[in-house]
Amino acid sequence: MTRKPQEFQRARPVDRRAFLKIMAAGASASVLAACAAPAAPAEQAAAPAEAATPTPVPAPEPVTSSAGMMRPQGSPKQGGILRTAFGVTMTHFDAHQGGGTHVLCHMYNNLVRNNLVDGLRTIIPDLSESWEVGDDGMSYTFHLRSGVTFHDGEPFTAADVVATFNRILDPPAGVVSPMKANFSFVDSIEAMDDMTVRFNLSSPRPFFLNLLTPTNALIYSQKSLEEHNFDLREVIAPGTGAFRFVEHLPAEKWVMERNPDYWDPELPYVDGLEMLHVPAWSDRGTAVLTDQADMSWNVAKETWDEGQNRSDIVQVNKLANFGAYWVFINNRAEPFDDVRVRLAIHLAVSKQNLAAAFGTQELINITRWVPQGDPYATAPNVLATLPGYRAEKEEDIAAAQQLMTDAGYGDGLTDIELLAAAGPQGELLAPAFQDMLKRTLNIETEIRIVERALLGSEQQSGNYQLMVHTRGHGVSDISPRGNLWWRTDGSQNFGGYSNADFDALLDEIDVELDFDTRQGQVAEAQDLLDANPPEYLVGYTFHLPMWNNRVHGLALDERAFAEWGRMETVWIDEEA
Amino acid sequence: MSKYILNRLLIAIPTIIGVTILIFLAMRVIPGDPLQLIISESDGVYVLSTEELQALRASLGLDKSYPIQYLDWMRQVLNGDMGSSFWNKEPISGMILRRGPISAQIAIMAVVLSWLVGVPIGMLSAMWRNSLLDHLSRVGITVFIAMPSYWIGLLTILFTVLVFTWRPPITIIQVWEDPIGNLSMTLLPSLALGLGLSAATARMARSAALEVLFEDYIRTARAKGLRETLVVWRHVFKNAMLPVVTTTGLALGGLLGGAVSVEKAFAVPGLGNLLVQGMTERDWMMIQNLVLLYGLIYVIINLVVDLSYAFLDPRIRYE
Repeated sequence: MTRKPQEFQRARPVDRRAFLKIMAAGASASVLAACAAPAAPAEQAAAPAEAATPTPVPAPEPVTSSAGMMRPQGSPKQGGILRTAFGVTMTHFDAHQGGGTHVLCHMYNNLVRNNLVDGLRTIIPDLSESWEVGDDGMSYTFHLRSGVTFHDGEPFTAADVVATFNRILDPPAGVVSPMKANFSFVDSIEAMDDMTVRFNLSSPRPFFLNLLTPTNALIYSQKSLEEHNFDLREVIAPGTGAFRFVEHLPAEKWVMERNPDYWDPELPYVDGLEMLHVPAWSDRGTAVLTDQADMSWNVAKETWDEGQNRSDIVQVNKLANFGAYWVFINNRAEPFDDVRVRLAIHLAVSKQNLAAAFGTQELINITRWVPQGDPYATAPNVLATLPGYRAEKEEDIAAAQQLMTDAGYGDGLTDIELLAAAGPQGELLAPAFQDMLKRTLNIETEIRIVERALLGSEQQSGNYQLMVHTRGHGVSDISPRGNLWWRTDGSQNFGGYSNADFDALLDEIDVELDFDTRQGQVAEAQDLLDANPPEYLVGYTFHLPMWNNRVHGLALDERAFAEWGRMETVWIDEEA
Repeated sequence: MSKYILNRLLIAIPTIIGVTILIFLAMRVIPGDPLQLIISESDGVYVLSTEELQALRASLGLDKSYPIQYLDWMRQVLNGDMGSSFWNKEPISGMILRRGPISAQIAIMAVVLSWLVGVPIGMLSAMWRNSLLDHLSRVGITVFIAMPSYWIGLLTILFTVLVFTWRPPITIIQVWEDPIGNLSMTLLPSLALGLGLSAATARMARSAALEVLFEDYIRTARAKGLRETLVVWRHVFKNAMLPVVTTTGLALGGLLGGAVSVEKAFAVPGLGNLLVQGMTERDWMMIQNLVLLYGLIYVIINLVVDLSYAFLDPRIRYE
């Protein structure tokens, strides 16, 4: 699995009821955000929603003007330094151009964010205090938080939001914008006044707010952008966030200090962050176990197992992640241009066996095309009965063999190349896949191992037949993923998959605001992908966070999915 | 002596130039494009347009011809500037200066340990050849030579984590900042390295001492009635140390640049780990400069080893 930071977020649709509530909220636009008073954080906690239950974007509620950030329940203590253990290197510091936002995000805010109080199951205001959705979902108007300043003292206004998103949508020459594709339906962004900003859409998107929650959708100041010619790769630009930059020792650590002027005067609880560079998963786990770090977002399985036995020292959890292992199939060339061959592979190869083969490295979460943690994901009990996903393979293998015979490959295939990265993918996953192809469908493959650095270019140039690789997306909703990965000529559809039925259905899913209707559409889309698979999905992964018992306020035991996000609500209590 | 040193340094120049050309070309021949890694750093695969790719390539100086790239690098080095990392744009010299002392300290501690343990064992083993002590030490030497230091490191970490819930610190603690913290960081890696090195040193000391013990001048010394301790200390030890100095000197040259595997096992943020990271990230500039540094260290250590011969063996003169 990729070792890169991932901010995979669960998409939450705006269902019909929520949509009406938001519309109703528009009538009372003067009320402030859905936040509670910072003076009584313990009372703010809401009951967590069920993991599989879609939850709406929360309707704004009237609160006092000193509204602060919603935060998990408890009796927070001030002080201390939180030490983290995970990889903190990055090529540059521009979050919008791909900089490491799992580090940078602590210095910034988004317009909205995922709600820690209910384990990231809803969206709450961040730099916006409230929002309204226009007629038919064609516009979103955000009322911004007043009194917010950037770390350089500049006041935060609507102009900063406009400058930020205009750069994402229309990057100047020399600036790359990986997020641009996500916002292709945004026509314009306009400042209605100093503290109000409106996004005008070309067509409605039920997941629009979700696209604003990933840590890379953070807000820069117009001043910083203009001062640096809209390219912040070599600048740690001032943010509005709870922590301020202190020191960066390359490939060693990042140090940040409490922002005393943070807009929520009670936050952050800790005096600072010390983010240690610990690239190896096993070292992350041992660092937390031995108290050299207070927490890690993802540790090695064996250290996680040890952590389970050391509940006197640490806590662990297993969180759905939106990155997956795949065996990419080049649809452009024989024999994989034949849907029957791809379907046969989908049916015959056991995901359970692959998960077991790779279990020492990373936990595989057997899932359909929409990952667990997304409200549209297929429930595990249903998944366990589906062909291609169920553990019992006899019937699936027989069907797969018949498909191969129908395709003219009843005797199997030879000289198929299976490309994989050096390391666990090439040593464990590829051989297990190779073995099952041979035993079930008599497909003989030769594994070609290349450096991980090469896989991307091999994939983009189409120089492969089968390729074990990873892929993920910042949001879990099928729309942004499907448009990039599976739509005919999608910008990341490197295998050349084309399915007119799926494309047509995706058009409908993109704009459908009614949850129930959309749920049916997404289920149908997954059926289409099952019947005509673009590639083989090994499975999404779990992230395995570990944290010292003294660490509180991150809701790590309640999260619906893994988010390497902000930490202003964390507190350290040695006695709790 | 100074003429000899000058000659050696002049001879080293083509060696170093050869090393730089070799590593420069190797980086460009082996598969793996640094740009590919940089652009796919986060959020999956992002496909750059040709113009964007060209701009990024130019920003790293990779749009120039190979000879120009090489000359640019050499010009930087001669100006005392090692350039910046492709990956994070940080000055490479800064990273080397911060991490170098840790790697050097581990290397020196490992070599000191190897002498403290290996030389006495080798000497005693030679003095009492074919005794029980000799047999035991030879078994021990074979075992520790066969055990990779990386494996010893992993076992050590496993043991200390599971039994003591402790592991060496993973952040840099310089000896002048916190000597105790620094020792807790460097001791185990030094032990893991030093054990294998001790075994090699003991083996070399034993065979060299055995050779010396049968020399005529040793027989003469004993015939003159010189006490055995004086024979061993004055005549056997000094002469037996020549090959030991050579081997440990070369080992030190390798270790000073960072013992890659042991640093990886203990997560020591030294030069070895920096090299591994550079390789993983295809950070050509980082790798080139680190290899250049290793080349220089080797040349200097070799020179120091050669000069030490004159101290150990008065017959050797550098004129």
